[in-house]
Amino acid sequence: MRISSEGLAADAPDGWEGEIYVRPPEPASFGRAAGTPVPVLHLANFALPAQRGDYGGGAVELMGRGDLFISLLEHDPAEADTALFALRRVPWPLRESDFAPQQMQRTIAGQSGCQRFFSVRGRAFCLYVVLGSHRMRAMYLSDVNDVLAAIDIA
Amino acid sequence: MTVVVATLAAVVVLLAVLVVGLLRSHAEILRRLHELGAGVYEDDDRPATRPAAATPRAQVTDDPDEIRTRPGVPEPRTESTDVVDLVGSTPQGGAKTVRVAGTTNTTLLAFLSSGCGTCGAFWQAFAGGEADRLPGTDTRLVIVTKGPEAESPAAVAGLAPTTCTTIMSSDAYEAYGVPVSPYFILVDGPTSQIVGEGAAGSWPQVRNLLEQAAADGGMVVDGASLDSESRRRVREGGRQREARADAELAAAGIGPGHQSLYPTAAPGGPSPDAAPADPAAPDARTDAGRTDDGAPAPEPSRD
Repeated sequence: MRISSEGLAADAPDGWEGEIYVRPPEPASFGRAAGTPVPVLHLANFALPAQRGDYGGGAVELMGRGDLFISLLEHDPAEADTALFALRRVPWPLRESDFAPQQMQRTIAGQSGCQRFFSVRGRAFCLYVVLGSHRMRAMYLSDVNDVLAAIDIA
Repeated sequence: MTVVVATLAAVVVLLAVLVVGLLRSHAEILRRLHELGAGVYEDDDRPATRPAAATPRAQVTDDPDEIRTRPGVPEPRTESTDVVDLVGSTPQGGAKTVRVAGTTNTTLLAFLSSGCGTCGAFWQAFAGGEADRLPGTDTRLVIVTKGPEAESPAAVAGLAPTTCTTIMSSDAYEAYGVPVSPYFILVDGPTSQIVGEGAAGSWPQVRNLLEQAAADGGMVVDGASLDSESRRRVREGGRQREARADAELAAAGIGPGHQSLYPTAAPGGPSPDAAPADPAAPDARTDAGRTDDGAPAPEPSRD
C-alpha cells in the first residue's frame, strides 16, 4: 500500500504500517520566529500506536526483537544549507555498521538505532531507524533497506 | 335556550378535538410499533405501504423471518468480505495505512460517522476510555470514517480521541461492504478472519455482542486493548511470542525436524542434558553466538 502526502511517498509492504503527518510548528519565543510545519513519515512492521512522538516515543518501547521502526522527519528548509545537513543524497541503503545501541534517542536494552541527517532538493531531513534487536540487525537490515528504497521525496 | 345550544355546540367541538387528538396519538403509536417490528406478519399483504428509503437498511421485506433493526441501527451485512488492510487519510490531512490482516492482535474496526446521531454515543464512549478494554487478544480499536469527500475532516478530528487510531477511508467502507454507520467488525489478525460484527444503539450493547463473538471464537473475552498501558506491559505473549520464536528459529536455519531439536542419547550413554555425543554434529549455536550459516543466533528471551 502506497501513501503519499506533503511531498513524501512511501510503500508499506505486507506486514507494515505507515503514516505521514504534519508536525505543528513550534511557537515563536524569545525573539525566535515561529517554526515551519513540517511533515513526518513513520513506517513500522508492527501496529503503530495512536499516540507517539516524532522519534517513535510510545512506539519503540513496544517493539519486540523482530520489530522495525523508521522515522523520516523533515526540518525547516532554511536548515538545508547548514553543516548538519551537508549530505546531499539519501543515506540509504544502510549498513550493519550504521547501527549502534548508543544511537537510540533513549537507550532501550537490546535495541539498536541509526540516525542520519541529509538534504535532498533543498529539503532537510533526519532519518531515524530503530531495530528491535541489535544482535539480529543483519537479519532485518534488508527489510529496512527495501522499505527505504521505496521512499520518494518530491 | 340560546345559551344551552351554544354550550352544547362548544362541548361537541371540544369533544371532536379530543377525539381527533386521540386518533392521531394512536396512529403515531402504531407507526412507532410498526417501525420497531411489531406486527410484522400483518405486513405480508401490504408491501407497498412500507416505510420508504429514509432508512434503507431498516426496511421491511417480504421475508417475515428477516432480521430487522431499530431506525438508526444498521442491519448485519448481507455478504461477508475478505479482511483487507486499510489505506486512507488522517483527520489532520495526512496519509495513513493500517494493517488488519495477518497481525498478531485482534482489530476492532469501528465504522463511524461524524454526522449520524447514533454514532455520537460511540464517539463519546471511546473518548471516555471505553476503548481500553476490548474483547479479543491485544485488541486494537481502529475508528474508520468515510473519506474527506464524504466527511468533514475537521468534524472527525474534533470527535476522534487522540488515544485511538482513526483513518478516513471510503475504500474501507466499500471493501468491507459497510453501507451505513455505525457498524463494528472484529477481526482476528493471525487468521485474518472476521469473528464478529454488527451494530447496536449503544457501546455496552456492541461490546456485549462482540464479547459473545469473541467467546464463540475461543478468544479472550475481556482483554486489555493494545493501546492501553496495562497491555503495553504484557504485549509480548502467547501466540505472538510463539510466532516470533518460530520466525527467528527459521531465520537461523532451524526448522521442523532439525537435528538440534531432537537430542538423542545412545542406550547407556549420556543423558540429553549432557554435551552432544557427536562433536561434529551441527549445533545451533557457537561460542561466538552465531549459527553455523553465519546468521546471528536468536537472543535469549527477555520475558
